Amino acid sequence: MARNRTFIFYGLALVGFVLLPQLISVKYYIHLCVLALIWVIAAQGQNLIQGYTGYVSIVQAGFMGIGAYSTALMGMHFDLPVWLTIILAPFVTAFFALLTGYPSLRVKGHYFAIVTLAFNMVIFIVLMNFHDLTQGEAGITGIPKPGGKDALFNWRDRETYYYFVLIIAALMTGLAALIVRSRIGQILVAIRQNEDLVGAVGIAAWKYKLFAFVTSAMFAGLAGAIYAHYQSFINPEIFGIAQSLDAILAVIIGGSGTIAGPIIGAFFVVFLPEYLRFADSFRLILYGLVLVLATIFMPRGIAGIARDLMEKRRGRT
Amino acid sequence: MVEVLQQIINGIAIGGVYVLIALGLTTVFGILGIAHFAHGSVSMFGGYLTFFFVTSWGIPLLLAILIALLVGLVLGVLIELLAYRPVRDANHINAFIVALGLTMMVEGINLELFGHEQVVIPTDFSRVFNIGGVTIPELRLYVILAAALLIAAMTVFVERTKTGQAIRAVAENRDAAILMGVNVKTIPLVVFAISTALGVCAGVMVGSLFAIAPGIGEGLVVKGFAVLILGGLGSIPGAVVGGLVLGITEALAAGFISSAYKDVIAFVVMISVLLFRPQGLMGKA
Repeated sequence: MARNRTFIFYGLALVGFVLLPQLISVKYYIHLCVLALIWVIAAQGQNLIQGYTGYVSIVQAGFMGIGAYSTALMGMHFDLPVWLTIILAPFVTAFFALLTGYPSLRVKGHYFAIVTLAFNMVIFIVLMNFHDLTQGEAGITGIPKPGGKDALFNWRDRETYYYFVLIIAALMTGLAALIVRSRIGQILVAIRQNEDLVGAVGIAAWKYKLFAFVTSAMFAGLAGAIYAHYQSFINPEIFGIAQSLDAILAVIIGGSGTIAGPIIGAFFVVFLPEYLRFADSFRLILYGLVLVLATIFMPRGIAGIARDLMEKRRGRT
Repeated sequence: MVEVLQQIINGIAIGGVYVLIALGLTTVFGILGIAHFAHGSVSMFGGYLTFFFVTSWGIPLLLAILIALLVGLVLGVLIELLAYRPVRDANHINAFIVALGLTMMVEGINLELFGHEQVVIPTDFSRVFNIGGVTIPELRLYVILAAALLIAAMTVFVERTKTGQAIRAVAENRDAAILMGVNVKTIPLVVFAISTALGVCAGVMVGSLFAIAPGIGEGLVVKGFAVLILGGLGSIPGAVVGGLVLGITEALAAGFISSAYKDVIAFVVMISVLLFRPQGLMGKA
């Protein structure tokens, strides 16, 4: 019964997302929705490692950067078609995640957070300074859209891209849900709750942690690649620590350890700064304040509160 | 050889700043288990404040630092009371998120009050000493001495005084400390006040040695945590060793390999230490 209800809920949400562009008349909002959907992909990845496994990684935007740059560079230098580089980008990201995940997962808690944060700094510095490859601060321009000249859809149209990203975001959310419901997902939650116990019953926790870390990086790599082809322009600025923090926020505010949470959270982190634009230079202060208050007063996120409310209602009737 | 010595001296000065930041972080972490991420931005606030007093109000440097220190003490207490105390019993991730929010707020306040131009605290220590071919600017020497003095004072405070004993007791076993009559409500306030004051000192040093600008604080706090990881958490000697190792590595890397990649090299050192000694250089296994 509960399971049916969840499916109905997600079905309705999907219908809502499909209709959304028809309801929005301002093009700019469709643009924001595309960005938010890209963030949904990255946040679902972040949720795997942060929400389910309990390891706060602060390198999600860095991995997005690796995905974005690798799809752009592979297209430029090897002349590969766009769809192929988008598929390959997460695997390039996974390679770096394997390399960095192994040493950093040896440490726990805050240590892990700081080590991953250092990785994000390293990625950022390399993107900024490795001019021959990344063209430094100026960034890469003219990244092609998917589909050639005689493509079936008009990819320059934002609405087309919206549906493209929506399909991928839905698929990745489904994939995240599958992972979480599998035995692997249960072990990840067990690691979050008591890692020593997981080890004690003979499960090699590090393999599962590495799996969660690399998978989350692949989600980020994919999000970054899609972003690169959407904007046709990338520079290091958007793959810094501040953006990694946004990914964490998306998970926390939406509701960590839930599938719906990252979806809500991603829209939140994309739209809230837009709404705070009226505050101009106070925006950063307000954003921080919202964050502090949200964590103090609703630690389980929007999805957590919604669930509490629903259970309360169900209990009453 | 002289060049190497020169870079090592430079490294000690930077390392001293890192140690001060790390000392604040490590005591906060020891007591509350909080990764106080806003520490760097708060420290920069102290640096900005000193700059403001000196340039706008014409207050002499030492007095300006003293006032900034007092402001730092109060600010530390406020941060603990308003931001961290409410999430004291929640999941540690929540405290970390609060720290991130706090960082944004303090960075925003810094921008709002002091603008985004980079700022250098003016000092009139412009002499340069020359010892056997190694040049030491007067200012750098004072920074090293001041850092050494503060580290020694902090060590004596934590090891020898009654309050210091209480701080260590709470860090070791909170419940037992309560039973022994330690007031665990006031200890975090003391810790935050002292940490923030140390941070303000570091901020002033950064501001006079290099420059203060938006984003510097965040970079600094990451270095502070890197020092903790290098040295081993909760140990003052660890913070000192870690800070010096990081500072000197960075200076050598900047001098002989590449200044653009000095941070990358510093982090590589940190990560390789982790691979072989996950508990840090001075940490207990």
